[in-house]
Amino acid sequence: MPEPYAPPVQRQPFEDARPHRISRFVAMADADAAAHFVQDIAPGEPAAWKWTNQKPTVKVVLRTNLRLRYVIDFSLPEVTFKVTGPATLTFFVNDHVLDSVRYTAPGEFHYEKAVPAEWVEPLKDTLLSASIDKVWVSPTDGAKLGFILTRIGLTQ
Amino acid sequence: MWQAFWALFGAMVTVAACYAAGALLVDWAKAPLKRPERFPLSFVLGASVLHLAVFAILSLKIAYRPVVIGLMAVPIVWAVWKGSWRLKGSAVEPLSLALKLFYTAIFGAFTILYFFHAWAPESSPDGSAYHLGLVARYLRMHGFEQVVTNMYANLSAGVEMLFVPAFAIGKHSAGALVHYAFLVALTMAMFAYGRRIGKPWVGATGALLVYASPVVGLDGSIAYNDCGVAAIAFSVFYFLEIWEETREPRLLIPIGLLAGYCYAAKYTAVAMTVYAFLFVAWKSRKLRQCAVVAACAAVLILPWMAKDWIYAENPMAPFFNKIFRNPYRRIVAEQEYADFLSHYSVENKWTLPVEVTVRGEKTTGLLGPVFLLAPLAFLALRSRQGRRLLLPGLLLFLPFFTNVGTRFLIPCLPFVSLAMALAVPSTPVLAALVLIHAVLSWPSVIPRYSAQYAWHLDRILWKQAIRKIPQDTYLAQNFAGFGIARLIDDHVPKGARVLAVNGVADSYTTHEVLVSFQAALNDDLADILDAGWDESRQPTRRLTFKFPVRTARRVRLLETGVGAPLEEFKVTELRYFYQGAELPRASAWRLRAWPNPWDVQLAFDNSPATRWRSWEVAAPGMYLDTDFGKFEFVDEVRVDTSFDYANIRLQVEAMEPSGHWVKLSADPKTDVIPPPVDIRRWASRDLHERGIDYILMNDTDWGADDMREDPGSWGFQEIARGYGARIYKVVTP
Repeated sequence: MPEPYAPPVQRQPFEDARPHRISRFVAMADADAAAHFVQDIAPGEPAAWKWTNQKPTVKVVLRTNLRLRYVIDFSLPEVTFKVTGPATLTFFVNDHVLDSVRYTAPGEFHYEKAVPAEWVEPLKDTLLSASIDKVWVSPTDGAKLGFILTRIGLTQ
Repeated sequence: MWQAFWALFGAMVTVAACYAAGALLVDWAKAPLKRPERFPLSFVLGASVLHLAVFAILSLKIAYRPVVIGLMAVPIVWAVWKGSWRLKGSAVEPLSLALKLFYTAIFGAFTILYFFHAWAPESSPDGSAYHLGLVARYLRMHGFEQVVTNMYANLSAGVEMLFVPAFAIGKHSAGALVHYAFLVALTMAMFAYGRRIGKPWVGATGALLVYASPVVGLDGSIAYNDCGVAAIAFSVFYFLEIWEETREPRLLIPIGLLAGYCYAAKYTAVAMTVYAFLFVAWKSRKLRQCAVVAACAAVLILPWMAKDWIYAENPMAPFFNKIFRNPYRRIVAEQEYADFLSHYSVENKWTLPVEVTVRGEKTTGLLGPVFLLAPLAFLALRSRQGRRLLLPGLLLFLPFFTNVGTRFLIPCLPFVSLAMALAVPSTPVLAALVLIHAVLSWPSVIPRYSAQYAWHLDRILWKQAIRKIPQDTYLAQNFAGFGIARLIDDHVPKGARVLAVNGVADSYTTHEVLVSFQAALNDDLADILDAGWDESRQPTRRLTFKFPVRTARRVRLLETGVGAPLEEFKVTELRYFYQGAELPRASAWRLRAWPNPWDVQLAFDNSPATRWRSWEVAAPGMYLDTDFGKFEFVDEVRVDTSFDYANIRLQVEAMEPSGHWVKLSADPKTDVIPPPVDIRRWASRDLHERGIDYILMNDTDWGADDMREDPGSWGFQEIARGYGARIYKVVTP
């Protein structure tokens, strides 16, 4: 038996406490990003951003459906914007339309909005997508480019 | 290419040194070996002696490469000088051409498969983890050191001691090749035994049944030790048989050394130590001869016991912790581990014969369907040789019930195989038996009948062996453990410890990785980590004991109930109150606990992420005892605990001036309390305080989701990911 111990140093509470927030983002830079792609995102090696087609869609699984927010970071590049002009993006969660936003200038954008709990079923695939109304079509090979996607996901 | 060369060279030097040491001893002992017996028996005998020499230089902390290589050179030079190097011995009856062709063809085919696999980069789970991981660590430290974070460091490692010189020269594959040499020696010895008893077809059949067995081939061509144990056990038997014929007293020394080497190689092989002693006692009935065997065995056994006694306070660590109580290994953890090993994921033990012979998935490996005929071996009881074989075979079979992994049958397999062959009187039937076994054991055939994920060799790795495919490329593409080890080395600062839920390929990283279940310290750290995300472990249950005010110097919380199996007594925080105000924890207080006295402070540190656990099944008489250092007024005791402890029955007692304990309350009020919203931060801070700033989580580990979802709430930052794992750093403790 060891000698009896004195009480140890007392741990003190944190002053900057915050609760746990569940997040599920698919960042194009993630090594496993392609495993989450459903449609309209260029496959291949991970990269900081990727071109999309008209309605890029990813799937994620969350443990909860409470207090979730849809988050997307994307760009409308000047080179395609010159051709397509202002574009409207419609954001979806499991085929429910969350919102539509019209973008009248090129640039980098962040969009975020709360998601009704009933749209998401915990522990099942949730489809997240963003549809652009105008795509740029390559005059040479007919390839379609929607916008540049950096990350998309749900967070609390 | 150079990696391939050094691997082969390292193994060859080690094997040659073992043979040389053994040959010197054989000649000194005047062992009347026949020529086919000389290499295998000398090699194994030499291994027993040489392992002790390696043990000695590790104990002296002089395991520098020149010392290790010099140690190997001494017996080789000595044996050449003394003339013991030559493969001499009395001649034996020549083999028939049919037997020569038959044996050579099958042995040759499987040798190509095994040799290249052993020579290829090591990617076995345990081999790359602790068998070689500890060898690499000892070489880095130039000797043994106290390893309190890995129970495998406490196992006897007689075969692994020979991996040390091999690894020092040729790294991982050299270790695997040394183990493969044991398998070859075993096969040669079995064949030689058949020739010695005048039944070469029996020897050939027994040898090939073992050699071609899928689990034997796999195990023998990676850096494990089971085939080594089998070779040692069979050598004990072999020398005993020779001693019985000749009664040469000097032979008792090799017998004793090999008997001790059984324990030194694997605890469960101690059955053969006992067999050797009893055999000599039975046959000689002379105390002196028994004493020689016992003394020689003790020379090889006691160093391992002493090492464990010194480093782990338990001479038989990591087992028997209830007898040899120590702060390094938990009793419940030992019980859980033993419980798992006794069944793996096999729910119905009646399916074990099929699982270990045909299916091979749940018990990780298969012997081959021919071994469903193993009961045939009992027919060999009709002959003296059969009876001789079956007794040690049975003794070595018994430990299988403590670990039903298929490879734990390997030590008894040579005896069973030879007995099976003895039971079959017809040479054509023996040949057919071997042929069927060989076909069924070939890698391309096995998937036709085994379970989908049965563990077996799948192809000849010659390109990998000669490093035509570079080692790192092959490992990175085929072995996630290697990739994760590289992630650790690339992203974790040198010297920093890493906490992991599951095992990693330690031999490929220079970092110390603390795997959750491998030691008491790791258990504590994992418990803290789990408290961050697992609600059942968090202090959400408060028991409040109220009683008339009392002056007391010592108060204790006594367990009076009996836990369900593996259910422990757990206390996150224990607080004392008077008139609603908590007694401040003063430095004069003295805290005691039983059992697990070493962790008592965890119930008094004001952290919801740490807790004292009995680490054995809750039982009446367990307690947490507080000596206030002076008399204090107390009228309330609060116990914060968790809901993973159901059968809770506690009472509060105070010590009277007479020294007797009196009950104050046994009827607490129970409340459900919320855990702190930032309990993850509490957990990461407690890990940081214990020197853990890096966490390795496989994406499939329990709790991995929680960290991945919001590393910030843990105070973590993800610093690396890949190979199905992530590494987090504690950034805001």
